[in-house]
Amino acid sequence: MIDVLITQEFGQRALVAATLIGVVAPFVGAFLVQRRLSLVGDGVGHLALAGVALGALIGVSGTWSALMVALLGAGLLELLRVRGRLTGDLSLALLFYLGIAAGAVGLSLAGRFNTSALGILFGSLFSISWGDVLLIAVLGAIVVLSVVLLYRPLLAVALDEETARAAGLPVDLLNLLLVGLTALLVVGGMRVVGLLLVAALMVVPVAAGSKVAHSFRATLGWAVVVGAASAWVGLMIAAGQGELVPGGTIVLTSIVAFIVFAAIGRRAAVAHRPRKST
Amino acid sequence: MPVAAVEARRIRYGYGAAPVLDGLDLSVHAGQFVVLTGPNGSGKSTLIKLMVGLLTPDSGEVLILGKPASRRSVQRKVGYAPQSSPGRMVLPVSVIELVEAGVAPPGSLLSRPGPEERAEVSAALESVGLGELANECVFELSGGQQQRAVIARALVGDKPVLILDEPTTGIDPAFRPRLVQDLRERSDAGAAVIVVSHDPDDFHDVCDRILFMEDGRVRDVAHEEFHAGEVAK
Repeated sequence: MIDVLITQEFGQRALVAATLIGVVAPFVGAFLVQRRLSLVGDGVGHLALAGVALGALIGVSGTWSALMVALLGAGLLELLRVRGRLTGDLSLALLFYLGIAAGAVGLSLAGRFNTSALGILFGSLFSISWGDVLLIAVLGAIVVLSVVLLYRPLLAVALDEETARAAGLPVDLLNLLLVGLTALLVVGGMRVVGLLLVAALMVVPVAAGSKVAHSFRATLGWAVVVGAASAWVGLMIAAGQGELVPGGTIVLTSIVAFIVFAAIGRRAAVAHRPRKST
Repeated sequence: MPVAAVEARRIRYGYGAAPVLDGLDLSVHAGQFVVLTGPNGSGKSTLIKLMVGLLTPDSGEVLILGKPASRRSVQRKVGYAPQSSPGRMVLPVSVIELVEAGVAPPGSLLSRPGPEERAEVSAALESVGLGELANECVFELSGGQQQRAVIARALVGDKPVLILDEPTTGIDPAFRPRLVQDLRERSDAGAAVIVVSHDPDDFHDVCDRILFMEDGRVRDVAHEEFHAGEVAK
């Protein structure tokens, strides 16, 4: 069964799309994790569900409506956070509930809840088209190019927002860009692993990489490797078994990678324990 | 009369009804090494946040090299080291990555560090004695070494104004003289150096002025006056 990933066109499309998301997701995820915003991807994903529902109601492509709503929602989230109107977790919680509720109601009103909801939430990797793959590639290229070009200022902000602001960096603009890239990635990964799981590929491979790396750059490198490997292994498991949802197997594979990396890693990613003398 | 490196004019700033700073005037010139001291809550940290453009005064103005402190082109000329060590990091970050973050891209956000910037980063790391630990993970350093890395980030690029909040706190006493001497040399080379410290004794032998904050204002005190205990530490 695994050979369908090579011999069948639907398998090839799935393999390419999953690999793209696995590789690209950590480029945004590393900065989110460093800024303690690991759940932003989830919040934006829930909003994208409302976007899909809106598209179904007004008769436009669910992908594009999801993209618009996710981008607007991500911008609003950042605005509320910066203005101090909402704490980070409260604003995220409101987004979670607003998105999932509006999505459920909207899809129900459009008569597509039963046919669409599962695919949106958990992905429909084996039924994507080459057009979907192209869209994922374009969104992924935008994300990677943006991060590569703005790596230094993004890292400076992620390390210490206050010092970056004092150094004259446009911190608010860079934060807005980061949540915007998150929205692009969420919509790109929607058909691959689903809205509920795409954020996991931003976070879990980064967490795995952090267990064996000495630097941010190395963490990102390891995360890309783990993301891609998880996509392949998870997809092979799903294809081999035949009944499993690929999005779930891909994310579970990345979590197994995290456990393995944590076991062999030399430091805790979160704990900050000085070990050498001054 | 040359333009002051740092100038505060009639600054008023408060977090609530009572102002923390009330009509504060201050002028620090290029080449001066100034220690800012005063009791807790006297407004030292508020003043330096105004100097680096993180806060905006309710009234009055703060000028760096004659221009508003909040202007981005001006902020890039100020090296700022906050008091806190980089303890909130989640992912591994190498010492050199932390220090490179102090090199704000001069013109374009897209610029990459060139050979000159790399040399500046290496020089800053050597200044704080972390040259050999450049590729170590910040997590693995002691608290004092982390503080030195934060100071190195401020020192990168020979900026004309240096503002450091409690730079010697937590640092190995044996290393303090070397750091203080380095700051003096930067001041002699033309930089305006402002250090906030609860313990000006560390800087007594090298600083040009001791500024004492109280009642929302700042005043110069003579070294002898300070050490005679005539001002409340």
